Amino acid sequence: MSIKSEVEVVDQAAVKRALTRITYEIIERNKGIDDLILVGIKTRGIYLARRIAERMKQLEGVEIPVGELDISLYRDDVHSSSATSEAQINGSSIPVSIEGKQVILIDDVLYTGRTIRAALDALMDIGRPSKIAVAVLVDRGHRELPIRADFVGKNIPTSLEEQIKVGVEELDGEDHVLIQKLIK
Amino acid sequence: MKRLLILEDGSIFKGRGFGAANDATGEVVFSTGMTGYQESITDQSYNGQMLIFTYPLIGNTGINREDYESIDPTTKAVIVKEFARVPSNWRSQMSLDEFLKIKKIPGIAGVDTRKLTRIIRQHGTMRGMIIDAEDDLKHAFDQLKATVLPVNQVAQVSTNRSYVSPGEGKNVVVVDFGLKHSILNELNKRNCHVTVLPYNTTAETILSLNPDGVMLTNGPGDPTSIPTVLTMIQGIQEKLPVFGICLGHQLIALANGAQTFKMKFGHRGFNHPVKEIATGRIDFTSQNHGYAVDANSIDKEKLLVTHIELNDGTVEGVKHRYHPVFSVQYHPDAAPGPHDAAHLFDQFMELMDAWKETNKNA
Repeated sequence: MSIKSEVEVVDQAAVKRALTRITYEIIERNKGIDDLILVGIKTRGIYLARRIAERMKQLEGVEIPVGELDISLYRDDVHSSSATSEAQINGSSIPVSIEGKQVILIDDVLYTGRTIRAALDALMDIGRPSKIAVAVLVDRGHRELPIRADFVGKNIPTSLEEQIKVGVEELDGEDHVLIQKLIK
Repeated sequence: MKRLLILEDGSIFKGRGFGAANDATGEVVFSTGMTGYQESITDQSYNGQMLIFTYPLIGNTGINREDYESIDPTTKAVIVKEFARVPSNWRSQMSLDEFLKIKKIPGIAGVDTRKLTRIIRQHGTMRGMIIDAEDDLKHAFDQLKATVLPVNQVAQVSTNRSYVSPGEGKNVVVVDFGLKHSILNELNKRNCHVTVLPYNTTAETILSLNPDGVMLTNGPGDPTSIPTVLTMIQGIQEKLPVFGICLGHQLIALANGAQTFKMKFGHRGFNHPVKEIATGRIDFTSQNHGYAVDANSIDKEKLLVTHIELNDGTVEGVKHRYHPVFSVQYHPDAAPGPHDAAHLFDQFMELMDAWKETNKNA
């Protein structure tokens, strides 16, 4: 598989704006930020969650707890042949009880919906939140489960041949969203 | 022709007249911008004001056909240290002197504009008058003191009739309080289909057009002088994304229970650092406002302060806590001025996209 083409569809400035807008939308729709917990899904979702929490702290002067979730154990589309090697928890941690809280799951890309479904299972194992919402930087479509995002940075309609690649500054040196087209 | 600029504190500045020869009375304000005199003079936010340029040489690139911010400027007078008699620029169509004569705006040159600005910074904005050197000074001062400045400035500069600036993309309603052409330019650049409506349009009329979003423009004067607009804002803010600039920002704040106050000498220029609180990002911004939103009056249950000016801490941007409404006190259209804040128009486009998506799902 070789890369045929790569196009930047969201640049650094637009990623930052999207995160700021999502922050405002969370404040809008939750009628404030009490009882809020942000849970980032490994790996890039965690950085996005931290950045949204940082924006909220600047705006409201309140520190929102940020949890981390590794859902590789719960994925239902990881085939049994590779399940043993994939199935490990890489130190998921949620610093406070999620019992009765409003949890916002944060990930970089929403695609089939299986990651979110697995994250919901993982959350339910930990406790019973009063409400769970989903925020993603990119929604690329092609859902395989009845799941939708409550907060979307950017809707990018894609074909199945394309790949969406999200870069975050902390990990990749730059914020961006790329569409890569592959040749089989 | 020898002319005088007199201020209500008794100051007298001698100078030479240029532009139109009529007398003028108005509020004397200063702009610290080094460029963009054409945009500033034609900016309707300067309605009824006598505009001082602190930069010493004004008019050296003449007047061109691209940089008008309005066709019929209502700036009362132009006060400069020196104006360029012979402009030199490939775009220049006429000199500043010729332009002011056509638009019937008097100018006065040879004034120490920096000294004048220091006086205004100390005493606050004052009324002033430009008269002939031979005129009876005592009579002129009496007249100046008796002058009542108009309060219906927005009605003077807003469009009387609706019009459309067509595009293929989002449908945006612009409510004109003294619209700068550069705002239309920024929206058209983003392919919007823009409908410009008069300032006294009702919420029902706006909603009946089913726009994707509403922009409230800049404009002159005291925001409390147009209370009917507040009802309009309250009528649309739950139903549509709204973006306010300058006067539009003050009106959004007023419509949500905050107060505005008249600043001592305002912010007019392009070097105002503004911080976006959420990210810490600092933009250098183009500003032109004599009123500001009082930070202490903001109901934190209704509005979030999103931007502050770093020199004096004034509120430069707010967002409604529960509605898709945001506004800034400065000019992201940046005409004239630094283009740092043009991303706010992108933000508005993205907000309209997100709002549409959300309501489709709901």
